[in-house]
Amino acid sequence: MSDATDPQNALTLLGRRVVQSIIEGSFPTLEIPDRSTENIVFDPDQRQFVLGGSRVVRNSSNIRHVKSFAQLLWTAYFAKELLKASRTSSLRDLYYSSEAFGVKFTDQSESDRVVTDLESLIGLAREDFGVFPEEHSSVYGQVTMRYTVPGYDGREVELTVSPDGLPIGPALMTAEPVRTGAEIVLAVESGGMFGRLIETRAWERFKAILVQLGGQPPRSTRRLLRRFHEVLGLPVYIFTDGDPWGMHIAQVIITGSANAAHVRGLTVPDAKWIGVTPADINNYSLPTEQMNDADLKRLDELTQDLRYTGSIWQEHIRGFRELRRKAEQQAFSRYGMDYVVDTYLPDKLH
Amino acid sequence: MAGFGNPTLAVYSTVRELVENSLDACDDSGRLPVVTVDITTKDSDAVSVTVSDNGTGVPYEHVAEAFGRVLFGNKYSARQRRGTFGLGATMAALYGQVTTDCPLEVHTQTEESTGKAYRLFIDIEHNVPVVETVADLGREGPGTSVTVHLKGDFKRAQDRVLEYLRMTSVASPHARLLLRVNAVPQAEFGPWTDTPPRPTTASKPHPRGADVELLKRMISGNSEKRLKDFLTGSFQQIGDRTASRLLKYMCLDPRKSVGSFTREEVSLLSAALRSFDGFDRPEADCLSPLGKEVFLTSVGATFEVSFSTYSRRGPSDWDGNPFIIEGVLAIGTGLPPSEVPTLYRFANRVPLLYDSSEDVFMKSLKKIDWTRYGLTASQPVSVFIHLCSTRVPYRAAGKQSIAPIPEIEAEALPLFREMGRAFSKSAEKIARSAHDIKKLREFAKSFRMVAGFGAALAESEPPSTDHLVASLFEVNDNV
Repeated sequence: MSDATDPQNALTLLGRRVVQSIIEGSFPTLEIPDRSTENIVFDPDQRQFVLGGSRVVRNSSNIRHVKSFAQLLWTAYFAKELLKASRTSSLRDLYYSSEAFGVKFTDQSESDRVVTDLESLIGLAREDFGVFPEEHSSVYGQVTMRYTVPGYDGREVELTVSPDGLPIGPALMTAEPVRTGAEIVLAVESGGMFGRLIETRAWERFKAILVQLGGQPPRSTRRLLRRFHEVLGLPVYIFTDGDPWGMHIAQVIITGSANAAHVRGLTVPDAKWIGVTPADINNYSLPTEQMNDADLKRLDELTQDLRYTGSIWQEHIRGFRELRRKAEQQAFSRYGMDYVVDTYLPDKLH
Repeated sequence: MAGFGNPTLAVYSTVRELVENSLDACDDSGRLPVVTVDITTKDSDAVSVTVSDNGTGVPYEHVAEAFGRVLFGNKYSARQRRGTFGLGATMAALYGQVTTDCPLEVHTQTEESTGKAYRLFIDIEHNVPVVETVADLGREGPGTSVTVHLKGDFKRAQDRVLEYLRMTSVASPHARLLLRVNAVPQAEFGPWTDTPPRPTTASKPHPRGADVELLKRMISGNSEKRLKDFLTGSFQQIGDRTASRLLKYMCLDPRKSVGSFTREEVSLLSAALRSFDGFDRPEADCLSPLGKEVFLTSVGATFEVSFSTYSRRGPSDWDGNPFIIEGVLAIGTGLPPSEVPTLYRFANRVPLLYDSSEDVFMKSLKKIDWTRYGLTASQPVSVFIHLCSTRVPYRAAGKQSIAPIPEIEAEALPLFREMGRAFSKSAEKIARSAHDIKKLREFAKSFRMVAGFGAALAESEPPSTDHLVASLFEVNDNV
């Protein structure tokens, strides 16, 4: 257990460093990789965005740092307790647990941030020490997974077992894909579209594993997408609303988010955004809505974003700018309930 | 009679006038005053007030004049006094005589004499004292006791008398003041300091203060003198040079003897003296402020004070009368909270307890926006103001409030502001140190957590953090 990549060991080493420093009569300091957007660079080998070399020093002798220093160590302690007991917890649960230890967080976004600090400090994703987001997205399709979590170790589940799909929790995230009859993975933004595709048996027709994203997907979902891609060799297609936000959901799956640039194994660089693209809005004469100020501002931001430097992305941004309109996935229903499945998706997937 | 308008006020004013006389007498002798007020109530409306001091005593040849004639005294010299030429004591004697038909009793002894007791009346019609009896009577030592029998209501005056003595000990903190009622000790105040006030030197009048009345009195003792000699000899700030310039300024014959001046000429002279702008400001040696240390001590001894600050303005002058204003702003649980600071006024070491609303200091106090200095309505803040002057410009004969003289107001406002600034500075300091203590506690708590959770992670005993925290805050203190 001397391997620093072993989560428990990494946490113990952190504690030892802090205690040793205090015994030696100096205030402990920690160096945490800088997660600001200025410190994000594209790593061509990993084909994802990673943190650059810049680091921030947190010094426990600084009155402004000492509180978050204590929060960070408590979070580490909490994580180690989870690991020792083989338990998982959610970000929200972690936030509420803090009170019992006299550790004060202003709100959950503060504790979420400290969890991210811990991740980048010890170089492990929070899922490695058992902390998951509360919200789940879902998966459905012809694939068999083998669980690795204690109590279910070795048991298999076929992901068409429930017509609602299965929630992607800690157990499914760490399960091994065993075999599949599917040929693609189709990730869709909205729950409504996910349900439609199950009902219409589109998964059968397209030989697709369906993944519901539910907006920006949790990391466990992105991780699962990557496993399907890596282990089963399936191409990943992303189907979102036709607006800057939907486009960015796809972008994050493909190249990674700024906030998780310190975590590996979340991106699917080969994934494709099939739409709804600005061109689709024109080509299919979709019913649209006027973009609001927030949408337009988001477009401006994305123009400056490193991840959008590719010509295809620039083309999409230009398209949205010219249209100044946006369309939801559901817009296809103007042509009837099954138009998406019968016409649009076949067009886009072949 | 001013100050004797009703039975309650009569008792209070009698005590006040006699005590002021006694304190002046003691200060003249350079002794630390011990002044005892004895009140004897006979029936519901008859009161005897006896005030005894350890002053110089009154020479026998002056006793009758000193207590038995209205407007006794012919001082031209000016210096800070509590009373005005013993006039107040005579008024008390007169009031007693009118209401009870009893004589004034004076028992006095000087260093050289063995003591005599006088009973005397005032012949009101002719304004002359009439000694009824004199008897040899020894005292414990030099000093004077004066007894006035009067119609008055002590029951209702008692609180005022107590407040008066308490406040007197703020402005005369070198005095020991005792109150006995029907021979039973009721209260004792002071002394709060064993330093007597700096002796004042009497100075000649300043020419700007030369009203017709003063000029007449001064001329009556110098009628032989020619105008120029009269001016240089009788006033301060007039030397030969100034006198020559002054004489050019007014159209009066410098060689004429002042005794031969007509009424018109005297009033012309007065007008010229008061309007000529070539005089230096008056000397201030004749004034005796309490001073920073003594004033802060006496306020602190009389009230429970957690913070106090002292400020002083002057010497300055109004109409040729030099004045100094000094003040203490105090905060403490023993003081009443109010929207503006509670004002305690003193003039020449005499507390002014009534008619505050029209007083120049009250008006100035209200012109200050105290919230600017961080004072809030809930804070028990008081301001003690002491005006020293050779002449106190009272608004009325009751001597309870000071007239709005522009020169005085012009010094009062900056004085208040100065004290306000001193307070807000110290309030910031207090708040900052409270803030620092809170920060230290929060830091220590957070840092104990760092050590505690660090140790839990390392699965070892938590190390002690006290020395590290202490070292950090020591360093910060030194910065």
